[in-house]
Amino acid sequence: MSEKPRDTTGGGVTPPASDPPQMEPNLKWMGKSHQWGTRVKPNKHGLRLGDLNVGIYGEVPPVWTDQTRAPRGAVARRGVPPLGYAIRDKVDLWADSAADMYEEAIQRRWAPATSVPWEKLAPLPDDMERAMCQICTELSQYANADVESVTHWQAQMAYGYHEIKQFLATVSFDGARHMEAFRKRALANGGGLGLEGPGEVNRMILESRGGWTEAVLYLFLMRGLFTQTVYRYLERYAPGEVERTLFAHCLEDKARHLTYGIDHLRYAVNHQDDQNLILQQLCIIGERVLVRELNDVVMREALAIVFGNGISGAEEGMQIYRRMMADYINRYLATLKWLGVERKMMFPAELTAYLKAS
Amino acid sequence: MAVFPSKAWFDAVRAEFNADESFQGGGGGACNTLMGAKVGGVCYLLTFEGVECSVAAEVAESDLAAADFILEMPSRDWQEMIRNIADNKGADLHHTLNTLDLAREDGLSHSVHGDQYREDLFFRYNQTLQYFFDASARITTEFRE
Repeated sequence: MSEKPRDTTGGGVTPPASDPPQMEPNLKWMGKSHQWGTRVKPNKHGLRLGDLNVGIYGEVPPVWTDQTRAPRGAVARRGVPPLGYAIRDKVDLWADSAADMYEEAIQRRWAPATSVPWEKLAPLPDDMERAMCQICTELSQYANADVESVTHWQAQMAYGYHEIKQFLATVSFDGARHMEAFRKRALANGGGLGLEGPGEVNRMILESRGGWTEAVLYLFLMRGLFTQTVYRYLERYAPGEVERTLFAHCLEDKARHLTYGIDHLRYAVNHQDDQNLILQQLCIIGERVLVRELNDVVMREALAIVFGNGISGAEEGMQIYRRMMADYINRYLATLKWLGVERKMMFPAELTAYLKAS
Repeated sequence: MAVFPSKAWFDAVRAEFNADESFQGGGGGACNTLMGAKVGGVCYLLTFEGVECSVAAEVAESDLAAADFILEMPSRDWQEMIRNIADNKGADLHHTLNTLDLAREDGLSHSVHGDQYREDLFFRYNQTLQYFFDASARITTEFRE
């Protein structure tokens, strides 16, 4: 598509301000289309984004050379100054599932204000409330990292891959929704926000410099899978219906993000030489940061208290925490293996210990 | 009254699920997946399309290979889940699909193809699947021992 000739007729150009308004219609622009007569029909699912990929509108080239914001399939106008996209190779951002998951995110949206039964929120013992508020504090930071990372990279992605940009817009909105939901839970039951998390993984995600694929590995697979596992256990051990509902909704959103993540990583591995080796090296780097963050006791203790239904049950809660970590690490390794990324070399002993303990 | 497990039981639940628009909002909604269910030695495929569960079919075990993911438990565990849903008008915290998947030694959801992308549909549509089984509280179930 980006190879299509640019319009040279000047159709649609506004005359200089000093000229009187042109009374005779120009209408030359009406002939400007690379493919006129397109008539996409809705099906039983409605008219979905992916359904529009017909004819030239569905041509997704391996490299998007156009540096303007010309929509894919539109007639490019001459003389439009470039805006400069850093990510113009399909291999650096693509996932076949993006258009469908954009629709899914829109159709399965929820609203923390009304989709959570806040009226059923019941007072909790002080230790449980403090632990839940601490967890919400740190999870809201995770969600903020989602928003900031995605929006940073989104602007650098070529418009020709609009499905990806649109899906990522839903990811950043999901992150905003999760921030909202966790903040509401922390402030709705007599508690409040707790201690800021150490933020080492957040910093690693936000400071990823090697490209979007690297950010995807850290944001969606390494951190995202961890967050999803935490959500699953918090839904399982929720102290009440409010928390259960909240984490169940967040779980679905996070699963969608993870799907994009592994879909993109698979695409990158399958279309770029040595990408699996690059990911392996990035894992080695990232896992060290993850281990450092996991050494912080705050989140671990808070989760153990919630899982054990109070400080008195925290020992049992810590066993559940270790099981949760083993689940996370097993899925992390299984996903990497499925992607063709071998993770035996220099795998941190601190993470292996969770597997042995389980 | 419908006997569990049977195609008639899944059809009765489908009818309840499809008729209630409240299952389509608040995080429910469009769901496109082919789900397997293995109850003891009896196998089913359930097709979710858009906001409906459109088809339930009893199939041979080999047909489960087509499923994106398969929910599998012994008959007694299925019965416990369905009784719990009936007693509470929806699964309690110990009997949600997520809890059963976490708590059971062999999990609840798995696949025969090992495709992570398709297996993750269990998580992406978890609320809709829970709504589906919670709809069984609205029918009278008789268990085939």
